[in-house]
This record gives sequence, C-alpha cells and structure tokens, in this order.
Amino acid sequence: MQFCFGVACLLLFCLGWAMPAGADDVLRVVTTTTDLKSLVEVVGGDRVTVKSIALPAQDPHSFEPRPSDFQLLRGAQMVVKVGLDHDLWIDALLAETGNQEIQRGGAGYVDASVGIPLLEVRSTSIAPIDGHSHGAGNPHYWLDPANAEVITGGILEGLERIDPDYAAMYEANRSRFLAQLQDRLNTWEQQLAPFRGQPIVAYHNSWPYLARRFRLNLLDFIEPKPGIPPSPTRLAALLREIKDRQVKVIIREPYESDRVPRLLSSKTGVPVVTLVSSIGAIPQAQDYFSLFDYNIGALEASLKAALEASNG
Amino acid sequence: MADWLQLDWLQLLMIPFLVALVLTGIHTYLGIHVLSRNIIFVDLALAQISALGATVAFLLGYYPQSIAAYGYSLAFTIGGAVILSFSRSWTGRVSQETFIGVVYVVSAAAAFLLVDRSPQGAEHIKQMLIGSILTATETDLLKVVLLYSAVGLFHWFVRKRFLLISFQPERAEAAGLRLWLWDFLFYVSFGVVVTSSVAIAGVLLVFCFLIIPAAIGTLYSDQILPKLLIGWAIGILASSAGLSLSFAANLPTGATIVCVFGGMLALAALLKPLLFNPKKLQILGQAGSFAVTSLLTIAFLSGAWLTFRPKADQPLLDWLEASYPSLRQAFLTPEEQDYLQQAGSGFDRWQSEIQRLDQMERQSRWQGKGLSDRELRRISSYTMSFQEMQNGEKFVQRELRNAARQRQRWVFGIPMMLLSSAGFLAVRRSPRQSDQPLPDKPIEANL
Repeated sequence: MQFCFGVACLLLFCLGWAMPAGADDVLRVVTTTTDLKSLVEVVGGDRVTVKSIALPAQDPHSFEPRPSDFQLLRGAQMVVKVGLDHDLWIDALLAETGNQEIQRGGAGYVDASVGIPLLEVRSTSIAPIDGHSHGAGNPHYWLDPANAEVITGGILEGLERIDPDYAAMYEANRSRFLAQLQDRLNTWEQQLAPFRGQPIVAYHNSWPYLARRFRLNLLDFIEPKPGIPPSPTRLAALLREIKDRQVKVIIREPYESDRVPRLLSSKTGVPVVTLVSSIGAIPQAQDYFSLFDYNIGALEASLKAALEASNG
Repeated sequence: MADWLQLDWLQLLMIPFLVALVLTGIHTYLGIHVLSRNIIFVDLALAQISALGATVAFLLGYYPQSIAAYGYSLAFTIGGAVILSFSRSWTGRVSQETFIGVVYVVSAAAAFLLVDRSPQGAEHIKQMLIGSILTATETDLLKVVLLYSAVGLFHWFVRKRFLLISFQPERAEAAGLRLWLWDFLFYVSFGVVVTSSVAIAGVLLVFCFLIIPAAIGTLYSDQILPKLLIGWAIGILASSAGLSLSFAANLPTGATIVCVFGGMLALAALLKPLLFNPKKLQILGQAGSFAVTSLLTIAFLSGAWLTFRPKADQPLLDWLEASYPSLRQAFLTPEEQDYLQQAGSGFDRWQSEIQRLDQMERQSRWQGKGLSDRELRRISSYTMSFQEMQNGEKFVQRELRNAARQRQRWVFGIPMMLLSSAGFLAVRRSPRQSDQPLPDKPIEANL
C-alpha cells in the first residue's frame, strides 16, 4: 500500500516536471554556465527558476553531461548557451531530449553570443587552427562587463518570446540591472586605470575581453594550446620574456594547475594571482557583480604590490 | 646574453634531472623485483590507490602537499599492500596480475567518481597520469632523497629475504619464512616510493622508470648486480637524453622521456642478438631481408594506392615532394606551375595580412583610444574574408596537386608496383642459393 502511494507520488512528481508550466507557475530555464544563470535570474526575477548544467570553475573543455541533465532539459522551457563552440555538447544533448521548444531555432533557444563584438575571430571552415580550438572567435566574452548588455538583451528577447505577458517586467528588470552595471563599470575602470598597459602573462587565453575593457596588456600564455603542458624550451622563453618585458603578474584560474605558475614565480619573483572566470568558482563570486568585484580587486591589489616592489 | 641563456636552461633542467636520477636509482632496483615476480602493473595499482587516498584528503579540504594528505595516501597504500600481499595466496586458477588489474581499474574509477563534483577533478586526474617532472622543486628533491634513502636502507638490511621471496618463493616458504608478511613489507615500501614518485612524475613516467631499465638489465644479464648497473646506466642515459631532446625539440618533458625509454628498450632488444648471439651473420642476413621485404611492401602499397586513388593522401609522395618540389613541378605545364607559384605566394600574403590585423587588435586593447565595437567588427570581418581567401589558395594548390597526381599515377604508380613485384620475386629466389652453405655448420653445437 505504502509502496503504491510512493509510486503514485513519484509519477505525479515526474508529470509535474514534464508538463508545461501553467499561467501562475514559474518558467524553467536551463543555462550551460553559472554566469548565464545569474544573468537570466537578473532579467527573469521571480518568474524564472534557473539551473546551470556545468559546474562553476570547471574546465568547460572537459565537461561530461550526465543523466540528470537530460531530465532537466526535458522539462525546460528555455535554454541559454554561451555558443562559439564553448559548449558544443549542449546541442547534442538537446537533440536527445526531443523537447522541440528548445532545439536550435526554437522559441526557447537562446545563443547568448549573438550580437557580441567578437575578438580573435576565425573563419569556421575546417582548417587546422593554432591555439584555442574555438571555431568562431574567443568565447570568454562574458568577462567584459559591457557585453552583459548584449547578453541580457538576448535573454530578454527569449523570455518575451515564450512569456509575452510579462514583457514589461522583464524590461524593467533589465534596465535596472544595466543602470547598476554602468555605475559598477565606472568604478572598476577607475580601479584598474593606473595599471593600463602593464604586461601580464596568463595560463590560458581566457581573458582577451577583460583585457580590452580594462586596457590590460596580455603579453603571453603559459599554455597557448590548452591541455599540452609547456616544454622546457617554452618555459625558458617565458622566463626570459617575463624578465625582459618586466611582466607584473601571472594569472591562473582555480582549475588550472598551479605548478608551472609557481615555478615561474619562484624563478622571477613575479606574483601569481588567481582569477575566476565563472560565478561560484570561489565563495566570494556569488553573482555577476561580485565576480568582477573579486577579479578586479585581486588584479588591482597584486598589480599595486608589484608596481610598488619594482619602484621601491 | 648567450651565457645567461645557457644558465637559464641549466637552472631549469637541473632539478628535474636530479629527480630523474633519484627515481632511476630506486625504481630500477624495485623493477627487478617486480619483473621477477611477474606483477608488472603493481605500480599502477598502488599508485592509483594512493591517488585515491590523496583524492579523499583533497575532498575533505586538505591541501595536496599537506601532511594530512600524505597520511591519507599512505593509509590507502597500506590498505592496498594488504590486499596485494594476500593476492599471492588467492591465485590459483587466475594469475596475480588479474587481481592487480582489478585493483587498478576499480580505484581509478572510484577516484573519477570522487572528483566528479570538484572543479579541479580533470586537472587532478591528468596530473596523476602525466605528472610534471619539469616543475619539480628543490623541496621535492630533498623529500624523495630522504625518503628513498630510508627505503633503500631498509631493503639493504633485509635484502636476502626480499630477494628470496621475489626470486625463489618456494624455497622461502620451505625455509619457514612467512610469505605474506614479507610480501606485505615489500608492498608497503614499494607503495611509499610509488606514492611520492607519481606525485612528481606521473604514472606513465614512473612505470617507465620501474620497468624499462630493469627489463633491459634482465635482457643482458641474470645476476642482480649487473642487472642493476645496466639498468642504472640506461636510466641515466634515457633521462638525460629525454630532457635534452625535450629542450632542443620543444616537446613536453614527461612524454618525451617516456618515448626515449621506449626507444631504448627497442634498441636494446634489437641489438642483443647482434652483440651476444654467435649466429651474428645469419641474424644480420635475416634482418637485411626483412628490411628489404618491408621496403618493397611499402613501395608496392604506395604504387597501388597512387594508381587506384591518385587524389587521396599519398604519404610517400608527399614526403618526397616536400624534399624535392621539382618532383611535382615536372608534372605540371608551365602555366600550371605559374598558378601554383601564385597560390603559394597568395597564401603567404593573406597570412601576413591576418597577422597584421591580429597584432593591431591586440595592441589596441591597451594602446591609444582603443577600437570601438564597430571597428572591431570590421576587423573581424576582414580577418574572416582573408581566411576564406587563404582557403581558396589552398583549394587551388590541392587541385593542382591532384592534376599532377593524375599524371604521376602512370609514371610512378604502375612502374612502382611492377618494380616492387619484380623485387619480391628476386628476393624470394636469391636467399635460398646463398643460404645453402650455412646448413653444413652444426648450428646446434653453439647453443
């Protein structure tokens, strides 16, 4: 008897998740990354519940979807992806769910990269390409806060398509967010203004958008081809470059190995600063604003210390 | 400037080289034991178990280099040693290697499950596999020197028992030695060594240090001391050759050393019959005829491939044409040669244009006023157009190559097939005649 009741509850639960939401229900949105999740929450407000598939701070290249993601997408009304080959796995996963609404071209499908002024664009014809294996430009565009305007614009359009009744609320949410963002952006730019053009070495080529917005000079990368550890020749060249060009800091992310940055740092005295490219990678980065508060603050502190050390 | 540069690489490679020496020292010795016990993959199993321990510590919030993390690895390793030391008595119908394999696979999968929800998981697993001997520090070196000296001393004091249980387990049992106890001690000391080595050099490289010098030593001698000396010499040679090669040829260090070790083993196995076998001439003859047969086979297959599929990739012809461009030009009309020339220079021109735009965009990130979004989009669309043009030039080069190949098939392909077939026939006949004087010698007497 109890067993039957349990089964009935389970069935009801599954049905509830699989059925389209009623008028008073909330919209279920799935994003590929935590950063997009945060931006959807900003625009959607209380009308949406958002889940992100990839873990924060995980190397997006090594992501492997699991069965629960499949369930999640089956019941979703909208899906938002980074695009530009950053999360290629999502399209295959979407096709398997059979949820027509959120297939490429469907009403609930949002590619957040549409409309972004891209950096390091490569034509997508099949040809061997050096460096980052992203078909159509560097995909780390959410790391330029100014791009949030375009990203939230795409999200807004998507939400208005599937839920036109609440369009005014979504627009108001977005305008409020953009006004706050402009204030913050001014502060962040002031914080980093004294360090314009200071040479920096990064682990991977994940920061070109950040560099463009805040006028940083990303001189070189420890792993120009992700996943292939640097050879001793490359390390020697990096050491020489760091000394000759007076590099001020070395940037790494939490998921990247710290062995090579530590070695470079111990031989040159240049500090290593850990930046995060995703919300939730560290406890301090809880939403889109605090992600930049943390990154800009960390960069400012280490650059300041490095400049004082080289002057004094 | 030049001497500073030299100092630089010396400084960079010194510690990794010394670490490699220390690893060679202890692993060759342990490898001889492992080979004789026929438990080749035991180091992978123990390394994986200790990695599992490190992973558990990592998930509990301890830093990878902390004492607590080491304690967890050690505890897991001792657990693994218990399982492995009992595995000798369980084996009957299935070999000990079966258990070792299962232990390895299960602990590797368990580690995967554990790191599944942690962001550094993928990096952690990769680090276990390929390690990074290049970034070893003075502290790492000091640690392994102290630890391995202690383990080495322990093995020296009880060497007779360890050698007995590894080489003559039946006699050890007859002498009243408690096999499982000594097995357990062996596995614990082995596990302690492997745990630290894998943390520095990774599973692949540690496996090479363990097996290959010992295997070459065993190939050339059946006594412990010569085996050990040969193994050490090989280990030192391979590590220094691997390190220098990875520096000279700009290759990842760990993988290069592994491949050099593999090459050494192949060379040692090939050279052995030439050095020690009395039937040197016969073996040389066999090797020669094998080489001739392989060359003829390659020539025949290339010829056939060119004849039937001239437009496909032709590895042999590509290689020849890269060294002698005139080989392709000879099959093109003057007009076609001109096109080929233009396509090549066009490709280079677009390449330099793309690089110029890239450079401009990179500089503009921090110099001058910076590019507006509209200017950035314009640069991007130029870049993409130039790349499409490059693809066009590539297409022209490919078409001209195909045109040349269509003609080459008659001049190269078919004659190559015919000539190599003739070669096969010639080879099949001649050795029998030259072989004939050999059987008069009583070969068996030499064995």
